[in-house]
Amino acid sequence: MAMTATKPGPAADTAAGTPRRAKNFKSRVLIPYAMLAPGIILFLVFMAAPIVYTLVLSFQKKKVSGLGLGKGSQSQVFAGFENYVNALTDPEFLGSVLRVLLYGLILIPLMLGFALLFALLLDSRRTRAGSFSRTAIFLPYAVPAVISSLLWGFLYLPGVSPFHFLARQFGVALPSLLDPNLVTFAICNIALWGGVGFNMIVMYTSLKAVPSEIYEAAKLDGCSEIQTALRIKIPIIAPSLVMTALFSMIATLQVFAEPTTLRPLANSLSTSWSPLMLVYRDAFTRNDVYSAAATSIVIAAATFIISFLFLRVVQKRAFGQEN
Amino acid sequence: MTTLAPARTAAAKSPRSSTGAVSAHEKPSYLSTGILILGALYCLFPVIWVVAAASKDGNELFSTFTLAPSTHLWDNIAALTEYRDGLFWRWMANTALYAGVGAVMSTWVSALSGYVLAKFDFPGKSGIFKVLLMGVLVPGVILAIPQYLMLAQAGLTNTYWSVLLPQIISPYGIYLARIYAAASVPGDVIEAARTEGAKELYIFNRIAAPMMLPGLVTIFLFQFVAIWNNFMLPYIMLGDDHLFPITVGLNGLLNQGASAPALYTLVLAGALLSIVPLVIMFLLLQRYWRVDLAAGAVKA
Amino acid sequence: MRKTFRAGAVAMLAAAAMLTAGCSGTSGTGSSGSAGDPDQKVELTYWAWAPNLDKVVEVWNEKNPNIHVTVNKQDGGDPAVTKLLTAVKAGSGAPDLIQAEYQKIPTMVAADALADLSGTEANETESHFPDGVWDSVTLGGDALYAVPQDTGPMVFYYRADIFEKLGLSVPTTWEEYAQAAKAVHAADPEAYLGTFSSNDAGWFTGMAQQAGASWWGVDGDAWSVNIAEDPTQKVAEYWGGLVEEGTIDNKPMYTPEWNTALNTGKQVGWLSAAWGPGVLSGNAGATAGQWKVAPMPQWDASKPSTGNWGGSSTAVTTQSKNADAAAKFATWLNTDPEAVKALVKETGIYPADNEGAKSALTEAPEFFANQPDFYDVVGDAAQNVGSFTYGPNVNVAFNAYNDEFAKAAQAKQKSAFASAVESMQQVTVDDLKQSGFTVK
Repeated sequence: MAMTATKPGPAADTAAGTPRRAKNFKSRVLIPYAMLAPGIILFLVFMAAPIVYTLVLSFQKKKVSGLGLGKGSQSQVFAGFENYVNALTDPEFLGSVLRVLLYGLILIPLMLGFALLFALLLDSRRTRAGSFSRTAIFLPYAVPAVISSLLWGFLYLPGVSPFHFLARQFGVALPSLLDPNLVTFAICNIALWGGVGFNMIVMYTSLKAVPSEIYEAAKLDGCSEIQTALRIKIPIIAPSLVMTALFSMIATLQVFAEPTTLRPLANSLSTSWSPLMLVYRDAFTRNDVYSAAATSIVIAAATFIISFLFLRVVQKRAFGQEN
Repeated sequence: MTTLAPARTAAAKSPRSSTGAVSAHEKPSYLSTGILILGALYCLFPVIWVVAAASKDGNELFSTFTLAPSTHLWDNIAALTEYRDGLFWRWMANTALYAGVGAVMSTWVSALSGYVLAKFDFPGKSGIFKVLLMGVLVPGVILAIPQYLMLAQAGLTNTYWSVLLPQIISPYGIYLARIYAAASVPGDVIEAARTEGAKELYIFNRIAAPMMLPGLVTIFLFQFVAIWNNFMLPYIMLGDDHLFPITVGLNGLLNQGASAPALYTLVLAGALLSIVPLVIMFLLLQRYWRVDLAAGAVKA
Repeated sequence: MRKTFRAGAVAMLAAAAMLTAGCSGTSGTGSSGSAGDPDQKVELTYWAWAPNLDKVVEVWNEKNPNIHVTVNKQDGGDPAVTKLLTAVKAGSGAPDLIQAEYQKIPTMVAADALADLSGTEANETESHFPDGVWDSVTLGGDALYAVPQDTGPMVFYYRADIFEKLGLSVPTTWEEYAQAAKAVHAADPEAYLGTFSSNDAGWFTGMAQQAGASWWGVDGDAWSVNIAEDPTQKVAEYWGGLVEEGTIDNKPMYTPEWNTALNTGKQVGWLSAAWGPGVLSGNAGATAGQWKVAPMPQWDASKPSTGNWGGSSTAVTTQSKNADAAAKFATWLNTDPEAVKALVKETGIYPADNEGAKSALTEAPEFFANQPDFYDVVGDAAQNVGSFTYGPNVNVAFNAYNDEFAKAAQAKQKSAFASAVESMQQVTVDDLKQSGFTVK
């Protein structure tokens, strides 16, 4: 950053001789590692170790002798890549991936589009009611997905929904959002409701950091407000857009709570609707942690590859200035 | 990610002043105000609905127009309070503990790690940062099972620790803290303190952390919401419902099992009450979102 | 602001320290002390989800100061079993006792989660229970894995006022049920006599059981799976036909929408079990006095039979260090006349204990005050429950039911119901084979 250029050289350079090397080691290696220790230890124990454990499980399977009842009749044996082959050739898994891709294709452009629109409107000097709207749009972020899905579930069910009630008063029969061909939109809507405010705030914060002189200049050049937004504001906050897109993609691949909460309300969602629902079903309903572990690893690897490729493309813009 | 733009642009330039002051002499636009208010209404609608629904008794809930409020809000809250000797409020307190204490601890660890990664130069730095960052990509649902199996070995399942400890580490928080530290803690201030003989931890706690404070509030809020939202971990870890957070507790009321009716009125009153403290907290801390990194960048 | 922020953080940390210190001491599930010493105080934990069960346990605790039982309320049968199996895998964290649904017992036994009680006083209770129920806790062998608690013999609940208004008589056969369904729907296009629920595998199992199905079987060292056979196909096609005609609803039970329909008289009947009054009074309290109970419609009126929906037992886990004390408690809870009476009063269950049921169930539940012979109807049904064998992967079969019948109910085609049964069979067999079971 700017100040690193002006600061005096490292203190170690001014020290002399042998003590310098000792001090150097202490301040250059021991101290930073000691200070990182809490973070690193927690990371190793609660993230790295569980991942390794999952990897180990993914190469095992259950073996049964006889009827499989009673002590010692079931054991754990090495399975090689069997679980992975099963996961990658499982039509249910592939189906869940396709469903989630469709879900992401609908959700991400809508969510980021609305977030950007609201952020630009908030940033516009001609918009009123800004602080009320900002708070209101951000509010759903604070509602846990389990609870928001429950609320929307009530609003979707034709028998209890106020929308259907009103439509009936006018003699119109609305289709149920929980029908198989609409249910993806129903889930998108819950995620949109919960996520648009967060992304809006991120973009709005970026916009606020842009110095006003730029806009004054644009105004003098005769740019309309829409032109300013399109030609100046959006390019300036592009890095924010990239990161919100990346995090939205990761969240999309991991969608779980919304479809799980809606599932018992209708016939249109299976217990393997999304990849993580499939993992949960295998691990908990079918009591097969081994398959679940393999599928988890596949999902994590896919997430990693997609994020990596995405970041690769935009890396210069996102991280370029920092080091 | 809030911070990427500032990291790029704010180094030298000053941010704008707040909208309110400038906008006085501009003509209001009804179209843009209208769109924004429509967005706000969309976001408020389910909340308005839950207020109406939480005010109905069990029979009204399923027999009257869903948006018409009734008069039983207080009865429902009283019934919820009576439910198994005030278990609901215990859940609220647990949630405050998990999310509040968890987020404070997580913020401190993130801030310290991010500060070291931004301000120290040491071998292996970029490798450590990259590995930590990869943690962002791992879904919590996947971690929950092995975490359970490991904590069970340590005899810690079904305790407060089993929900608190795994959520202290936040790769995303460390990532943010690193950017905040880079943008808001000047290197010469650290050097000056070192010259005066201050210990490194003292420099962090007393000098660097306060400079990062607006950014740390953001991390705190992120982490608070993340823990508050995390259903799977407490659901798996806890067997004793006196330890449940509110989400797991309400889910239990909703899914009573085949032979008992779901307690919808209690669940809805509970959902409403559970949102209230978060809304208050966000209203109070909201101004930090506004100033956010811009403030840190000016000082830098 | 900075100062208040920090003060708040300190206060929260202090609260955390207090709470964790206060609770970590009591939250462990292990029990201390040896069972051999009668003066030694024993602590038992009990995972259960029946409402108000803790009140029944209080009676025990007052009488038995040396064996103290704490109920940990669970979300329901599925989550409790999930957690127990995870705890067994982890080697610690399981309770001493668990409320176990009958269909889950083979799964739990297969995972080595349940202790064998055949050497304890629980083994003396055989005479208390119907044979079919006893079979489901012994799995037909010499071991005893649980003490039966309640059963869910299926019966037919209907809105007597609406039946009277429409001039309908109570259906005694499934053919009459179909005609009644048609009449109800014709009189009010929004009303249905019932719904086919793809969410409730136990409900469908009960109806298959009534038709004579038994989905698993044991043959030496091999399992057999008999889902895709006549009785189940007959039931599936019957319901598929009604759903295809549109005279029966196709939406799941236990949704807000279904509750509304119970309240507004749009669901005119409910094929349910003996524990039904608790659900009806909780979800549609205002309709009290308008419902009546009748035996299930029959396939063959000359040979009345019914199935079970739900019902559970009290099992002791393999991680319990006080299995004898736990078995003593389980025996008391489910066979002592005072305990059974309390179970009926507090939790609203239908007890499995023959004598207990007779002496405790003298008066109709409040919701059915209009029908004094309520428990005569239910008691007769309980005598007609056919036998049914559950296998080690009921969870997989039930999950397949959810997914396959959801598709079929959505498609509203009789043929889809038939193929859903075939898919269930396929998924269940494949899973057994993949886990290494011998399947015949």
